[in-house]
This record gives sequence, C-alpha cells and structure tokens, in this order.
Amino acid sequence: MSSHSDLRRALRQALPLLSDAKLYQSAKWAAELLNAVPDPEPFATEPLSRLPPEDDCIILARTFFDCKEFDRCVHALKPCLSAEATFLRLYAMYLSGEAKKERSSETVLSAQDAGGTPNLQMSAIVRELEAFHKTNKTESAHTALLHYLHGVVLLKQKNAGAQEHLEKSVCMFPYNWSAWQELGATLATPDAAQACVARLQSRPEFAGVPGAMLQFFEVVLAQELLPHSPHLQAQLDELTALYPSFAFLKVQRALGSYHALDYAAAEELFDEILATDPLRLDDMDTYLNVLYVMEKRAKLSHLARFAASVDEFRPETCCVVANYHSLKGEHEKAIMYYRRALALNRRCLAAWTLMGHEFVELKNSHAAIEAYRRALDANVKDFRAWYGLGQAYEVLDMHLYALYYYQRAASLRPRDRRMWQAIAHCYEKLHKYAEAIQTYEKALGIDEDPLFQYKLATLYELVGDEERASEYMHMCLDGEANARLWLARYELKRGGYVAAYEYANEFGIANRGLAQDVEEARGIAREAKKRIV
Amino acid sequence: MASLTQSPSQHNSTLTISPLVSNRRQDFFATPQNPTLFNTPGSNNNLTFLTTSTFDPHPLANAAAPLSQAEKLRLWRHDAWMQHHYKTAEYVGDKVLALTGDPNDAFWLAQVHYASGNYVRARQLLLGKQFDASVSCRYLGALCLTQLGQWDEALDVLGEVNPFSDAFPVKNQDGGIKLEASMCYLRGRIFARQNAFERAKECYKEAVMVDIKCFEAFAELVENHLMAPQEEWEFLAALTFDDDDELVRLLYTTRLNKYMHLGQYEDAAQRLRDEYSLGDNCDVMLSRADLLFVQCKFQACLEVCEAVLRRDRFNFSVLPNYLSCLHELGGKNKLFLMAHKLAENHPTSHVTWLAVGVYYLSIGKIPEARRYFSKSSLINPNFAQAWIGFAHTFAAEGEHEQAISTYATAARLFPGTHLPNLFLGMQYLQMNNLVLAEEYLATSYSICSTDPLLLNEMGVIHYHKSDLKKAEFYFNQALAAAKYLNADSKAWFSIHANLGHVYRRLGQFDKSLHFFHQVLRVGGTDANIHSAIGLVHLKMGAVFQAIDTLHDALAIAPNDPVASDLLKRALEENMNGENEALRRTSSLKPRKQRHSMQTPLVHKSRSRMEHGNSLLSDDVNLLANDLHKGEDSSDDDDAIMDIESD
Repeated sequence: MSSHSDLRRALRQALPLLSDAKLYQSAKWAAELLNAVPDPEPFATEPLSRLPPEDDCIILARTFFDCKEFDRCVHALKPCLSAEATFLRLYAMYLSGEAKKERSSETVLSAQDAGGTPNLQMSAIVRELEAFHKTNKTESAHTALLHYLHGVVLLKQKNAGAQEHLEKSVCMFPYNWSAWQELGATLATPDAAQACVARLQSRPEFAGVPGAMLQFFEVVLAQELLPHSPHLQAQLDELTALYPSFAFLKVQRALGSYHALDYAAAEELFDEILATDPLRLDDMDTYLNVLYVMEKRAKLSHLARFAASVDEFRPETCCVVANYHSLKGEHEKAIMYYRRALALNRRCLAAWTLMGHEFVELKNSHAAIEAYRRALDANVKDFRAWYGLGQAYEVLDMHLYALYYYQRAASLRPRDRRMWQAIAHCYEKLHKYAEAIQTYEKALGIDEDPLFQYKLATLYELVGDEERASEYMHMCLDGEANARLWLARYELKRGGYVAAYEYANEFGIANRGLAQDVEEARGIAREAKKRIV
Repeated sequence: MASLTQSPSQHNSTLTISPLVSNRRQDFFATPQNPTLFNTPGSNNNLTFLTTSTFDPHPLANAAAPLSQAEKLRLWRHDAWMQHHYKTAEYVGDKVLALTGDPNDAFWLAQVHYASGNYVRARQLLLGKQFDASVSCRYLGALCLTQLGQWDEALDVLGEVNPFSDAFPVKNQDGGIKLEASMCYLRGRIFARQNAFERAKECYKEAVMVDIKCFEAFAELVENHLMAPQEEWEFLAALTFDDDDELVRLLYTTRLNKYMHLGQYEDAAQRLRDEYSLGDNCDVMLSRADLLFVQCKFQACLEVCEAVLRRDRFNFSVLPNYLSCLHELGGKNKLFLMAHKLAENHPTSHVTWLAVGVYYLSIGKIPEARRYFSKSSLINPNFAQAWIGFAHTFAAEGEHEQAISTYATAARLFPGTHLPNLFLGMQYLQMNNLVLAEEYLATSYSICSTDPLLLNEMGVIHYHKSDLKKAEFYFNQALAAAKYLNADSKAWFSIHANLGHVYRRLGQFDKSLHFFHQVLRVGGTDANIHSAIGLVHLKMGAVFQAIDTLHDALAIAPNDPVASDLLKRALEENMNGENEALRRTSSLKPRKQRHSMQTPLVHKSRSRMEHGNSLLSDDVNLLANDLHKGEDSSDDDDAIMDIESD
C-alpha cells in the first residue's frame, strides 16, 4: 500500500517539472497514471466509485489542456467545484466551441462563411457562470478570471453586461492584461472611455501598486480614441521614465503618432523597437501601414521579406506581405494574403479593413462592404471601416446608408474634416440642404477650405439665400475660380455692373475654366460694360 | 348462456384447473368451502378451491395419494409444455383428452396448440359443443379467433356484453387473474380493433373492476390515454383494493397521468421507495420520467431514461420518452444508434419504427420520417406517439390540411392526452383561424393546465387578438410553469421572446428589452430577436442603437425583409431626426482642435478615402435591390413582427 502513496508523491513532484519543461505528452501520461493509482484511504467503502482528489483531477485536466484536448479537459473536471477548476473547465469549453466554430465555417468570405456560425457552448457557459456567481461570492484571482471569461462571452454576444464583469475582473485581479484589453473593446466612444477610466480611478483597489495597470490601460484608450490629446504624451513620458525598456510603451507611442497622422515619428519609433527586439512581429502590420502611407517602397519590401523569413504563417506577416502587394498594385494577391491572415486568426482586426480597401480598389463593393462589416464586428472603434462602409454604399448610390456610416466615423474622429465633408455630401444628395449647410459649416470650423465655402455658397443658392451665398463666394475667391463667374453673374443680375465687369474680367484673365465658362464670362463682361456706359 | 351466469367458474383463473394444483387434495380437503358455489359443471376433475396459488416445483412430493393414469399423463403433458416440448405435450395431451373427454384437458391441449402457433387447430379443438360450457375453453377459443383476425367471430363467442355482470362479485381465491376479467379485456381489444373506443374503454374498465390484477387492461387504458385525466384518477379511486393489495394500488397510482394530483403521485412513489425499496425499479423510474417529461424537464427526463436503459437495454415502455427527449435536445447521434440497435433486435416492434421515424425527423428528412411513423402505426394502430409523429411530418412540410386530419385522429384515439389538441390549435393558428385554434387550445387546456408550451400558445392567440393583457397573463403563467425548464429549450426561448413582444406592444420598452436580452444571452443568434430589439430602440428614439441592432439582424439573415425594411426606416429617421452625431460630438470641447488639425491632409491617408468620389458613377446593383426588398411589408409596426409560435 505504501508503494502507492510513494508513487503518488513522486508523480506529483514530477508533474510540474514535466509541464514546465513543456513536455506535454509525458506530463499527460504521468497525470493519467497519478489519477489511476488506487486510493489508499482505508475507510473508502466503495473503492471503485471514489473520486481521486480534486488537485489530481486539475493536474490531469491541465495536461489535457496543454495537449489541446479541450473536450477531454472539460470532462475530466466535471466533478471539481473550486473556482480554479471551474475556470479551467469553462475556458476549455469556450475554446472547444471556438475551435469547432472555426472548423465548421468555410474559407474566409466564401458563400458559406456567413459569420453566423455560433459558438454552441456559449449559452451553457453563461448559465454555469451565472450559477457560480450566485453561490460563490468570495473574491479571488480565480473568481476574477471567471468574471473575465463571463465578460468575453457576453462581449461576443454583444451583450451590454460584458463591461460590468470585466470591470469586476480587473478590480479583483488587475494583472490580467487580456481583461483590460477586452474592457477596452467594450468602450466604443471617447466619452465612454473617459467615464470608465474615471470610475476605475475612484476605486480604492487602484490606489497602490495596481494603479500602474490602470495607467497602461488609460494610455491604450487615449492612443486609440484621443490620439491628439496632450495628456497622452504626458502620461507616456511619465511611464517611460519609470519603465524605460518596456517595448509596450514605445508601441503605444508609435500607434498614437500613427493615429494622429504623424507618420514620420511613428516610423522612427518602430525602428527603435525593431532595433531592441529584432524578431518581434507583433504590431509589424501597423508599421508597414505607416511605410505604405509614406510610400517607402524599398523599406517596405525589405521588411516584408524579413517578416516572411521569421515566420511565414503569422497573421502579421501575411498582412505585411499583402501590404507589399497592394503597394505594387497587385490587389488580387493582396486579398489572397489577407485571406490567409484571417484564416490564421479571424480576429485579426486590421486585415478585415485592409481587405475591404483592396476590394474597393477592385470595384467590388459587395465584398468590400462584407469585409468592412467583419472589421467592425471585431472592433467597433475602427473609424476607417465605418468610413469605408460609407464609401462603398455611396458607390452603390445608397446615400441613406452611407450617411449613417459616415456619422459613425465622425463620432469616432470628430476633428477629421473628411468625415463631415462626406456627411454633408450625403445630405446634399438626399436633398437635405439645411442639414448639409449645417455640416459644411461644422467642417469649415475645423478647416477653412475654400472648397467648403464654395459648397456652402452653392447650397445657400439652392435654398434661395443668395445673400449668404454671395458672402461665401467672396470668401473663396482665391480658392475657387468658379466663384468669380458666379459672382459676376450675381452682380449682373442685381445691377452691380462695375463689380460684375471686374469679376468677369478677372475670370477671363485667370482663364482656368471650361471654354464655355470663359465664353460666358466674356458675355457678362460685355453686357456689364454696356450697362456701365 | 343462462346456465353460465349461474356458474361461478369465471371467478377462477387457470390455476384452479392446472393439473399441478389439482393434485393437492389435502389443500382442498383442509379448507372446505361452500361447495355449490365452486362447483364447475362440465368438468369431472376440477377441484376448485385453493388457499394457495404458488406453483410448487415438485408437486409429486406433496401428493399423498397415488396418482391415477390420467393424472400422471396430465403432469407429463404439463411439464412438456412448460419445457416447450410441444410435440410431446401435444402427443400426451391428445391421449389424456381421449381418455377423459374433460373440457379442462381440451383447454390444456388447445393451449399447447396455441403456444406452438397453431391457432386454427386450437380453435377447431375448442369448437366442440361439449366444451361450450367451459369458461376457460371459451376464452381461449375467442383468443384464437382474434389471432386469426376473425374479430367478429371472436366477439360472438365472448358476447357483446359481459354475461357475468349480474353475478355476485366474489374475490378470486386462487391468486390468479379471473377469467371473467380476461374475457372483458379481450372484448375490449376487439372493440378497440373495430374503432369502438368508447365501448373498448368500458370493457377495459370492467376488466380492471372485476379483477385489479388484470394489468393488461389497466395498461391499455393508461398507455393509450383512453380516459380523461380526471376520469383516470376517479377510476382508480373507485377500484376496490384489499389491504394486502396496497402495493398494487401504489404501483397503479404511479402509472396514472401526471397532470393532476401530483401530491398523491409523490406520496405513492415515496412509499414505494421507502416501504418496498422499489425506488430503482424500472417502472417506478419510468413514472418519474413521465412526470419529468410532462413538466418539460427534458434533460432530467433523459437522464432517468438512460438509467433505465442501462439496466434494460430495450425497455419498450421507456423508449418513447427517451426518443422524444433526444429529439427535443438534439441528440441525433444517440437516436441513430438506438434506432439501429432496435431495428437489428426488434424489427417487428412498433417502437423500433418510431425510433427510426424520430431519427429522420431530427435530421430533417421528412418523407422518410413519415414512412416510418406510418409503419409504426400500422404495426400498432393504438400507438399515440407514432400518430403524432406522423402528423408532425405533415406539419413540418406546411401541409396544414393533412396535419389537421391526422392530429384530429390522434385526438379521437387518445382523449386522455392534451397534445393532439394542442397541435391542432397550433395548426389552426398557423392558418390564421383564431376561432378554431382557440377552441382546440381550450380543450387541451381543460386536460392539462400546466404545460408551458400550451400556455405559450394560449398567449399567442390572445396576442393575435390584440388582447395584450390576457396574452401577458398567459405568457407569465407559461413562464411560471417553465421555471425549471432548461434555459436552452425551445419553449423557454419562445416564452421569453413572446413576453418581449407583448411588452413591446404595451409600450413597456424596458421590460421588453429585458426579455429580448434574456433570449439573446442564452439563445445565441436569432435575426428576429435582433430585429425586434431594433424596433424597440427605434420606438424609444435611440436611432443609432436601432440601426446597430438591425445590422446585427441582417448579418445573421442577410435577406430578412423585416429587418431590412426596419433598417431603411431607421436610416430615414436618422436623416430626418435630430442628428445624433452632431449632437454627440458637439458636447466635446468644441473649437480647441484648430491647432492639432494643422496637418491632417498633408500625407496620403491610409484609409484611402478619396476613392469614393471617383467611383460614384457606378451603377446601383444587386445589393441595393436586396436591401430595398420588402418595402411593402409594413405599414403597421405591429403586424410585421412575427411572434414566435413554436
């Protein structure tokens, strides 16, 4: 009998060692043996029906998990009730459901790949989690992990309760960065993000050491949603002073610069990151975007080859290579690589949006729309996908739809005049002139582009307010040649012949319009001159 | 016949005339009873009264007096029959009969013929005038006729009514089943065969009244739902059980319907467990499974059924429940295995083909399912599940007329179950015939007032009649009845969705959203629910949220006309109404951005926003058409949302 307990002891010592050495199959074999060693307890009346102790069960389940046998892991943990076992079991259940879902869906964006294949385990997981939280009120790291899992599942179902659970999780156990990331995904607008940060700051949990985690979180949110805020820079400086060699901070700074459209700074930062950690492929796709926008072909090509040599089958690598092909104008090839990236990881956010852009290039609006939609499923905060959707629908002459998408894009990037310009254009197409005027005026508040002034002028003319129209025409005299012609016409009509003559004359001198416009200007000049005399 | 009514041999069972017990002379002489009452005319050798009915394996050991030649031959014949040596039994039995000419010997010889499947010979043997007076011979003769399919002749032999019904009821003393009861039961079967279900029911009831041990008749009554639920309970209460029959009473109690008197059932089950330690007996577990099934606790029911099947692989009584649960819970693979095992081992059983039919129904092969349900009901025309399954196949293909006529047959055959009427109501509901639907649902409700599915349908009726308060009442009732339902069951799903719709129409949007979100939380993806949520948001004026939700709906069902129509309206609302984006962003610090926006357009933007304008001239194509489809579907908000009618 004692040989049994000796063996058990020996196995329990050996198992962590094997697991830490990543010898998963050996560990699995040993754990199975450990659970098969008969129980020595003499008072066990029914030796066959007695369950092995919970710890051994968990050890066995862990080895199954490491070998990616998720269903078996779930089964092995059935009798265990602790928070740790429950988390492992439900997490394995979730992963098993995800794996089955991926397997059952067809190739990316094919007819069968409707995105509707559900993870069949979801509702069972939610029910179990609810039951667990009902009976178990203790706060521990594992309970926090259960809240995290709850949040993840609810987020997948687009349920509003996700945020609450994720907040609970980060409060209970702040060092789970994935929970912070998912919490970030629930915050779709700058307002919501600010409210969330403020709420967490007021909590006592973040007064001490865990406050750093909250700061990291703040940085990510600011970088994504408010890249222009000076607060972001200050905070990044502060954190970099504390943890100078933390690549994460540098990446955030680079992403911030990228989002703030300061590409040169972003490039420099990415170069620094690569110098310190040359084989790091994370965030490489963003770097390549920067190079793409800056049209640095050679560097891009070099980096694409480099990434492919490190690991050809990383989603990031595929995105990089796709970018390279896109720059060369090989859109079909680019799409193929984006597909590959998505086959490797369907949650690869950037790939969906970029693939949408490629489809736009190929004038395949339907595919583009589908790709943008998937991008938004993965990340609602992606303003480019919203804008892309707007464009695609505009191509299809569906301005009513386009309007909504532009509005969403504008709510994410309120200081980007292109958003407002697009919205105004939609209003104009929908004959909503009052709204169009309102929107152009807003755009004008951001950037005094003569194009906006000219647009406003024509719109005021359309609604019959010629006086306001002429005011705006005056404003954009330098930018828009046609303003002169319009003013000439306007002055002629209301008897300001001198002004009309001058405008028409100047228009003729500039001589940039169409032949018939030039002809008309000459006519007006003649007419005005006649009247002056 | 008149002479027979005087003869009390109908109170005996075949034990009395068995050669084994008839040799126990001491028993007979030890307890003399009123000899005239037990005198059986037409038989020289029957020694009728016995205090014990147990077969003694060694009857010879008890025999004090030396046996006669005939007695020896009878024992030989009997043992040969028991050991299935039919040739021997036939050979010897023939000799005994020739020796004695006793009707009882004729009876036993006929039994041997019957057991070896020679019904015609058995019948011919018993035809003789000299055996007419023997009750046992008449019973067996009639039984042979039913086996030969000569139902009318069998009824002639038995008589259309019980000829002994006027006789003074005497408790059977030999411990077997009274022949009178067996004859009543057989009469019932003949009537059932002739589709005279009311008379059949009366015959079965009489059989059980005459002798509670006639379980055959009792099972026929209960399994085929021949009585209304209340009637069943009253019938059981009217039966006379002696004190030593308590076990039987408890067992019978657990067999009755589970629609009412649950207290009595629980009590009986408890006592069977505690006093008789029958807790894990298959039939007691079966009754538990029945209860769970009626309460729609399919998962629990399935577990009980599996426990029974582990012990008894082909327990035919539990199989219908097992199959239904698997169908309900989507256990296609298990259905496949069970259907195959049954087809291999029991190819002539009606349950086998029910299993095959249920399997095909589960995988959506409706014509095949129909074929096998029909096969099952041909083998056993009184098999309720097969009929209902058969009707389901029509319903599944939208053949309302045929479904209705089949459900109606089922309702006629099985007045004691609420399901056929419920399904009839559902069919009429689908055909928009609210009056008839309500009538059938009311009938169903009078049988069973606790089925969440039924309550849900009642709610749906009132919803369609725009009687929202009543609809809300019934849905809440259904919710209460479904309290223990698995949250992923379809019934639970429908009730919650329906409550959401009711509150939507009542204008209680928060409550409505609560229920819809409940459905989504566990029900996964359903485009209709998303559309409904979208509509609620639209009504609440949250246009952005409405548009988002409607997009979710269209992501699941891209061609859903309701969702695309609602989306179009939401977008129009968005255009006409107060501009949410403008309002929202205007709350941000307004003009400070001048500085930060100095260089936004200097670099080429990665988002390639310029492309839109160059492509604007492209034609409107398919997608636009798709999205515009279904414009005409709705002027009235309320008409377009399809309520869940399971």
